[in-house]
Amino acid sequence: MSDRMTVEVWLYGPISRYGKEIDEELVQDRRVERSYAELHLRLPEGSTVAHLLDLLRLPPEEKGITFINGKLAAMPGVDTDRDVELHDGDRLGISHRRSMWPFQYRFGASLDETLKDSFRQRKDRGIHHAYTKPDE
Amino acid sequence: MAEILRINMTDRTATYEEVPEKYQHLAGRGLTSTILYDEVDPTCHPLGPNNKLVFAPGLLTGSVAPTTARVSVGGKSPLTGTIKESNAGTGWGQQLARLGIKAIVVEGRPEEEGWWGLRVTKDGAEFFDADEYAGRSLYEMAPSVFERFGDRAGMMTIGVAGEKKMAMAGLCFNDRENRPSRYSGRGGLGAVAGSKGLKFIIVDDTDGPGVEMADKDLFDQGRKKMLNALRSHDITKPKGGLNTYGTAVLVNIINEAGAYPTRNFREGRFEEAAATSGEAIFEGNQERLGKELYNHACSPGCVIQCSNTWFDADGEEMVSCIEYESTWALGANCGIGDLDTIGKLIWQCNDLGIDTIEAGVVIGVAMDSGIAGFGDGEAAIKWLDEDIRQGTPLGHILGQGAEFTANAFGNERSPTVKGQGMPAYEPRAIKGIGMTYAISTMGADHTSGYTIAPEILAVGGDVDQFDVDKADLVRAFQQTTAFIDMSGHCLFIAFAILDIAEGFEGLVEECNGLLGTDWTGDDVTRIGQEILDKELAFNRTAGFTAADDRVPEFMRYEPLPPHDVTWDVPDETLDAVFKEA
Repeated sequence: MSDRMTVEVWLYGPISRYGKEIDEELVQDRRVERSYAELHLRLPEGSTVAHLLDLLRLPPEEKGITFINGKLAAMPGVDTDRDVELHDGDRLGISHRRSMWPFQYRFGASLDETLKDSFRQRKDRGIHHAYTKPDE
Repeated sequence: MAEILRINMTDRTATYEEVPEKYQHLAGRGLTSTILYDEVDPTCHPLGPNNKLVFAPGLLTGSVAPTTARVSVGGKSPLTGTIKESNAGTGWGQQLARLGIKAIVVEGRPEEEGWWGLRVTKDGAEFFDADEYAGRSLYEMAPSVFERFGDRAGMMTIGVAGEKKMAMAGLCFNDRENRPSRYSGRGGLGAVAGSKGLKFIIVDDTDGPGVEMADKDLFDQGRKKMLNALRSHDITKPKGGLNTYGTAVLVNIINEAGAYPTRNFREGRFEEAAATSGEAIFEGNQERLGKELYNHACSPGCVIQCSNTWFDADGEEMVSCIEYESTWALGANCGIGDLDTIGKLIWQCNDLGIDTIEAGVVIGVAMDSGIAGFGDGEAAIKWLDEDIRQGTPLGHILGQGAEFTANAFGNERSPTVKGQGMPAYEPRAIKGIGMTYAISTMGADHTSGYTIAPEILAVGGDVDQFDVDKADLVRAFQQTTAFIDMSGHCLFIAFAILDIAEGFEGLVEECNGLLGTDWTGDDVTRIGQEILDKELAFNRTAGFTAADDRVPEFMRYEPLPPHDVTWDVPDETLDAVFKEA
């Protein structure tokens, strides 16, 4: 397993159930509760966020606010994290689509560079609370 | 014609006054702060005879506009020494507005010992002897109050903490089920009521005149736009983020961000956070009740409905409500990771009449000072249920708030600004909220910096959150918030109207319809600034300077894990926020 790395993944809300479905062989350790799951996974080197979501069988429409190592990496409607490559020791926190982080409580927080670039290019500079259309 | 009700506690008289012309378009925080600015000497002692306590429903409170049951309460704060406005969502405010009362101004101080209540109806205001209610548990006392005054009455009261003039005592209002659970919690206004012998204000709007309306069509047009915005936005819609998980939906998010203050602001991430989150409350209730339970409205007419209830292992109600700030303050901040213990602590706070945020910050400081270990829930319950309830010397120290407690135990780690405990967002990890805490006229306050639509904020240029100089943005947030606090809307409408421009138009049209004004978006920031100007002037005369607009020093030299960041926003940036105002 020398070509593998360990990644810590937290799933919040109803998506915690996907913590049960991941291939046993990839699991170093896990705790799956109704409201959250804490997973320690052994993934192939070079895996991306998209690979991880496939392994979890987590549908994109259920995935909400996402953190990589404490930096905001994606929000509903701004999925800039899919191609981000994971590294040994990384921590991912993925919330259900229903989660929220209003702008005034994230103003000045750490952002992943890819998301930051995406926000910079928007006319609103990323100061909205939500980026999905109603009922999306 | 709306009136101002002036209550003199020295001789227990009540007089109705015409509303002066200059107050006609003011309400809520705009009116409480203006009356304090006009009538109260900022250098007075907050518990002395010269401080006043002002209650003012918002502009739209009492109308059918959605989510407008806020009542503002103002006074000079015994916790901060600044001007204070603390608002609550409760049918009490709606009833006051429908009685045609724009504000109640409570002044003076009785010379004799005793407790009094005031009952306000369409027939006038009368006092009653309230000695029999003093010293009691609020949960035990409340049913007897509604038995006496009727189930549809509204109740404002204080608990034993307010009676003992503790600086973390709040003012308690009833919720829709007549629980003593809705609070103007921050800043110790409960102690100001206590200093005046005021135990209750009971209101009953039966056959009251209702709220006057200048242009009903315009008002209706505005409220429909607001309603549509609230019902369609992801955060505020039915079964959306707030209705499902309550404000505690933020726990896992802020924890992942490394900004969830843990063990008295020693760390930014709590290992047990997920077990104390909004998701855990929702799933835990489902497990204990065998069904999904969405949240309820704290007050009549709210469509967001974010107020939760926590049930114990037997499926019996333990407490309502577990807010984000409460589960944080009495959870992570004290190293407590179990919802049942947190629920018991919140119940104690509601029962004693204290602010859950300040209580949690106090307990965190006390644990940090070595009086008990972090995570010792039994000690925390004892401090509330025995020390504060009985008024032991330790109880009186804790009851004076986090800064007083830190000083009493020689601990420099007091996470406060202007003497008020910081809420549940670490300024070192989220710099914007740190700026809000630092420059707020109210002391560390997470509700003083909300945004509206960026196109409105962008007066004179594009809004860029990545600008080096964020002072303009922070100032605009403060102005916006002051206006919403005046409107009577719950601040959470800001979530929807930041994203949905029609919602913002609706807010302005509701106000214009009610008052007959022709305000535009620009007036929102102008009026907000006028409110802030009075608050800033009050604080300056009270002795506050730029040196008070700072986060505590330890945050400059103690790196906060997991990001290992310190507070590094230059003082000049903070000073620039209101410099040009």
